[in-house]
Amino acid sequence: MFKEFKSIFNLNWIYIFILLIIFWIGEINLYSAAGGSLDPWASNQLIRFLFFLPFFFLVIMLEPKFIFNFAEIFLILVLIGLITTLIFGYTGMGATRWIRIAGFNLQVSEFTKIALVIFMAKYFHKLNAEKTIGLFKSILPLIVSVIFFILVAIQPDLGTAVIILALGLVVIFYAGIKLIYPLISIGIVLSISPILWTFLKPYQQNRIQIFLNPDLDPLGRGYHIIQSKIAIGSGGLKGNGFLEGSQSSLDFLPEKETDFVFAIFSEQFGFTGSILLISLFFIMFLIPVLKTFKLTQAFNKIILFVLSFKIFFEFLINISMTIGILPVVGVALPFMSYGGSSLLSNLIICALLLNFMSINEKKRMFS
Amino acid sequence: MEKNKTSEDSIKILNRRSFIIIIVGAILSFIVSLRLFSLQVINFNFYKKKSVENKLSIKLTPPLRGDIYDSKKNLIAGSSSLYEFVVFKNLSKDHFQEIKKLDSLISLNLNFEEISKRLKKYNEYSGFSLSRASWEQIVEFEKNKFLFNSIKIIESKKRFYPYQNFSQIIGYMGQPTQSFELYSKGVFHLEKSYEKHLKGTPGKIFSEVNAKGKTIREISIEKSIKGNDLDLTLDLSLQNYAQSQLPRNKKGSIVVISVSDGSILSMNSNPTFDAQIFEDRQNNKIQDLLNDDQKPLFNRAFSGFYPPGSVFKPISALVGLQRNLIDPQKVVFCKGHSSLGDRNYYCWKKKGHGKVNLKKAIKESCDVYFYELAKKTNIDDIASLSSNLGLNKEYDIGLSNIGKGLVPSKKWKKAYLEESWYQGETLITCIGQGYNQTSPLQLATLYSALLNGGKYPIPKLDKNTPTKFTGKLLNNEHQKIIVNSLNAVVQEPKGTAHKLSISNPEFVKIGGKTGTSQVVRIKESEREDDQYKSKEIEERFKDHSVFVGYAPYDKPKYVASVIIENGGSGSAVAAPIAHKILDFAFKNNV
Repeated sequence: MFKEFKSIFNLNWIYIFILLIIFWIGEINLYSAAGGSLDPWASNQLIRFLFFLPFFFLVIMLEPKFIFNFAEIFLILVLIGLITTLIFGYTGMGATRWIRIAGFNLQVSEFTKIALVIFMAKYFHKLNAEKTIGLFKSILPLIVSVIFFILVAIQPDLGTAVIILALGLVVIFYAGIKLIYPLISIGIVLSISPILWTFLKPYQQNRIQIFLNPDLDPLGRGYHIIQSKIAIGSGGLKGNGFLEGSQSSLDFLPEKETDFVFAIFSEQFGFTGSILLISLFFIMFLIPVLKTFKLTQAFNKIILFVLSFKIFFEFLINISMTIGILPVVGVALPFMSYGGSSLLSNLIICALLLNFMSINEKKRMFS
Repeated sequence: MEKNKTSEDSIKILNRRSFIIIIVGAILSFIVSLRLFSLQVINFNFYKKKSVENKLSIKLTPPLRGDIYDSKKNLIAGSSSLYEFVVFKNLSKDHFQEIKKLDSLISLNLNFEEISKRLKKYNEYSGFSLSRASWEQIVEFEKNKFLFNSIKIIESKKRFYPYQNFSQIIGYMGQPTQSFELYSKGVFHLEKSYEKHLKGTPGKIFSEVNAKGKTIREISIEKSIKGNDLDLTLDLSLQNYAQSQLPRNKKGSIVVISVSDGSILSMNSNPTFDAQIFEDRQNNKIQDLLNDDQKPLFNRAFSGFYPPGSVFKPISALVGLQRNLIDPQKVVFCKGHSSLGDRNYYCWKKKGHGKVNLKKAIKESCDVYFYELAKKTNIDDIASLSSNLGLNKEYDIGLSNIGKGLVPSKKWKKAYLEESWYQGETLITCIGQGYNQTSPLQLATLYSALLNGGKYPIPKLDKNTPTKFTGKLLNNEHQKIIVNSLNAVVQEPKGTAHKLSISNPEFVKIGGKTGTSQVVRIKESEREDDQYKSKEIEERFKDHSVFVGYAPYDKPKYVASVIIENGGSGSAVAAPIAHKILDFAFKNNV
């Protein structure tokens, strides 16, 4: 089940270094979001991080074969978790997203993303296609993705649900579905989007309308976007400086510790800081991706590529939200937003990435 | 697991696909960076400004309103500071409980029902004024301050009007109806029209606030600047004296203006009101005032329009002279009536004036002389000269509801009554009855114009307005004839107001013209008759008594125009009042 201990010395230390830098920027940011105080967010997040470290190393040390073999089990576990959430879940802010396990509020949907990617990686690995994949062979992963999308969407948590579906589609695309199918689906989605609109809950429709025109409700839902843009815009080229963000320190920015944490960062560190952060995340995305080119096992490649993409993708969606180019759908900024489940799931992903980056494919693995 | 290695083709596909996704990711990052560039670099100034506005709270402090003075610097409208109990809804959820607590602590006799109704409409962050706070109440409140989170004592400004007699000119202030109004605005007369001049500049307290509006610290304070003062042409003593001369139980009005520059020296209307009740928010009294059918808010001096009666005759005479229709020496025989077609037009003097020349016609106010003149006159000439001499005009002197009145013309009748003009109507118009409508202020201006020789100063209330002349010059000879005749009305025996010189020989010598403005068509023979006692006529159908006079008659300085509604004949009622007022003005050199 576990690798030999000495394999820990083969880890990609640059990746770990970047991860630590990003987490540390997140800590500094939570510190400034509280107006220059560790309390309540920065300290809590650090404690969580330390608490999660054993899990992090545990996942690093897992045998890839174990992960491969248990792919379906993981998926069934998150399926049970999601159904449990829907039935017994803890309700907060109008949505039932959490279950209580051993004193922790766990957001199962965060882990669904990982389990789904592992499951689909295994599926396509076993498919072992010689050429591009037809529609028929993509039906099963597609159906599975949609089932999980629906289970999360009815919590309701549209942001996470969309990410789950998107990751499923990215796997299918990456695994080599014929290009014609994605193109056709895009066409179909665009043409039935007015019908999809009617399936959205009023508050979701509202969010999208306000995204398109924040001034519809400048003191209500539009307030978030307007204030976030003010915070970011007022940061300017160089930023106001550490702890000098007036928008955030004076409480104009709601949800500043979670969804809008980037606005806090950008107000203090400006355009320069923002570009640096984007670069860091892009490098973090590329490191595992570059490794994929050296690998020949589809399972390894899919896990490395798609999970690495997941972190970068969520990063882009989150900041797009805060700068008003995507509707506010509630996607956390990896390692920077305050929140346990997001931190734990992203740490697990990084552990998986580190684990798979250290694979030596010369050994027979999945037999 | 059948095969360890994924086929090479498949690997190529995966690698190709990863390039596509990386490129898409890079493009998305680029779009996000562009957007950030637009927000943070291109539109930086816009968002910076918004951010500063966000965190700055500018609290305005009300300025003192400018004072209003009479021509001798007597204060007739001033401002002072006062303190109020103000409740802020956002400061405590229990603000209504606190209001009740305050009322029981300091008996303010608040009307909770009304307050709760009005509070609902109020903005969270703007204070709602509960009541004025006296010094004792402030002390009591400060002792128990810890009990109240949402109630504060706030300074505000109050207007005070020491003299009730100016209310109808100065007007009054409104009550702030919107919570965001910092101070009340003038809503009537000069308070309204001079709002900009008087209001001043609010002070500003800049402070840094958080999103909940809580002040973090005060940054700077700009003091408020008091509004400009306003100096009026009115004279306090004359205004008060004139008001006292108006019969209490009659509606009426007096206007005194200066012949030399058009300054309005006093302007009275009865009944009147006290503007202070608006400022003191005495709502019951305000209601009574608004419902009063005597209309005390209505200033008859410039909003009241009446047929001028015989005081209009100089205009007819001037038209006759200008058009060469009459020779001032030539006599007309007045046998008590004149006929046009099959109708008789009567002189007020039933038995007739006998031989009448122009001077006598004015002095004794012979109607027949003017009927004969009217028969040759074009009504449009009358209208045109009237307009030249200040009638049919709306003076822009900052008063609300100032009217234009009416001098009929053929065009007017066609447009408004859709009828052509009858010569008979010219006859009536020439003696100042019929469609003619003039205000006391216009009549005073008309006489000022006559005394000035046609080119007259536009009436003014604001002392700092430069004197402006208007109108066309009259023929000097014509003007002299008219003024001589007007002097004779008072100074020569048989003049309709000659009695004034006899009863008060010590008074300043004046000239002028009596008039009786018809309310209903009664027997013409009764008009202008001193013995006119129409006990049989109901009070409200009695004629209005009119007199316009000037003093001193040889070197006119003041014109006074008096109308007493339903007062009866001009010589009996209005003339003695005008004489007293002109004497007062002259003796006190207002």
